[in-house]
Amino acid sequence: MGAIGLVRDSRGRICASVDQYECVDCGVCYRARVCAGEALYEPKPEWPRSVRGTFSNPLVEHKETRVPGRGTEEMKTNEVTGRFKWGEAGMAVEMGRPGVGARFSDIEKVAMAIAAVGGITFEPKNPLTGLMADKKTGKMNEEVMGEKVLSAIIELMVPQRRIPEIIAAVRKVSKEISTVCSFDLTTKVDPDGGIAAFELAKAAGIQPTLNGKANVGLGRPLFVEEANA
Amino acid sequence: MTHTLHRRGTAESFKNDYVLFAMSAKGVNEVGSKTKLKRFLEIIQQHNPVNMGDMKTGNSFITSRENIVNSTQDTSIVHGVFENREDLISALKDLKEADLGVSVIISGLMQDVHDCCSVAGVKPHTCETSLGVWGNTDRLPDEDILRFTTMCGHGQVPFNLVNKIVEDVKEGKLTLPEAGRELAKPCQCGVFNPVRAAAMVEEIMCLWGIHVV
Repeated sequence: MGAIGLVRDSRGRICASVDQYECVDCGVCYRARVCAGEALYEPKPEWPRSVRGTFSNPLVEHKETRVPGRGTEEMKTNEVTGRFKWGEAGMAVEMGRPGVGARFSDIEKVAMAIAAVGGITFEPKNPLTGLMADKKTGKMNEEVMGEKVLSAIIELMVPQRRIPEIIAAVRKVSKEISTVCSFDLTTKVDPDGGIAAFELAKAAGIQPTLNGKANVGLGRPLFVEEANA
Repeated sequence: MTHTLHRRGTAESFKNDYVLFAMSAKGVNEVGSKTKLKRFLEIIQQHNPVNMGDMKTGNSFITSRENIVNSTQDTSIVHGVFENREDLISALKDLKEADLGVSVIISGLMQDVHDCCSVAGVKPHTCETSLGVWGNTDRLPDEDILRFTTMCGHGQVPFNLVNKIVEDVKEGKLTLPEAGRELAKPCQCGVFNPVRAAAMVEEIMCLWGIHVV
């Protein structure tokens, strides 16, 4: 994050100092015990500064999801929860990832650009959605606009046919932000073993990466879905 | 919560990198899942994981494996990392046989993961892929750094730590395996692969610090 730098104190000594404007309260330096003088400590921030730790320190559990980290269970338990059904796609934009961090001004910009596509429902269980003042437009709570986090996930679900629209919206707005974002696509495997949603991304000009994640369907009870096959 | 999704590297560099993890679904099969998640860890421990952990307890380089197994809770997400497909497949076979009823997820090269599932007799149900990194990518460090730091999806492995560890290896302060383990420590969940990291340090260290204009 680059929030720790060297400064000269009032007595002329060179010291390491944490820039509180840039620090995202991830707790890494504290846990690593890198300060030989044990001068590092973790303050207990009040609202709205407290959002930094909840989105940046994986040891802090979100009250909304009871899942430590930034997001939801998403595809990890899908065979049990049925969150993603046939014909649907989960899409997520992980603002600030990898390792750069994001201010809420950029997060709002991307959320509003996606919402502007129309008919978008942001994932209600995602802690970032809880910080939206207007969940229809993606407008964030004004109180957090000065805050910076290591990463926050804009999460939504759309019919697969809308994948190209979302990709186009993110492609356009990503040129207007000062940070980076990692983009995710989730879908059920088709009955024939194919993954049509990934093909739609390719058709929109995006090559999914070689590596990925697979839920192998061992959770029980299985979610029973009205199959389209 | 896509903490194992955006790992970066070449197809070759992923050949020794598989993450296997498990969790229960909140409000569905969560209550009492502690014993199943503990059993998951006991099973994967028999198949030579190079790292394991649970976010709340830590990884196997900052606490003991016994502590990780015994600290499991209903809300835990428990992980193991494998450096070869044979260990992954044998772990998967045992997990299928155990029929624990908690969700099991694998991260790795997609086609390879599908092939491993087929051999182990399980079938991918839901898949997730990365569509890449967008935005102001000029702010990213060199790809050589990202290949290490993205092994911790929560961003707990700092860019500068990679620099320091490579320098320490070059100066003879650390061996390659020690470098892999040092880099794995900040990744609380235990999804960082120290063997892959050691191999990548070895690959890049001879040209480290040389910039071609």
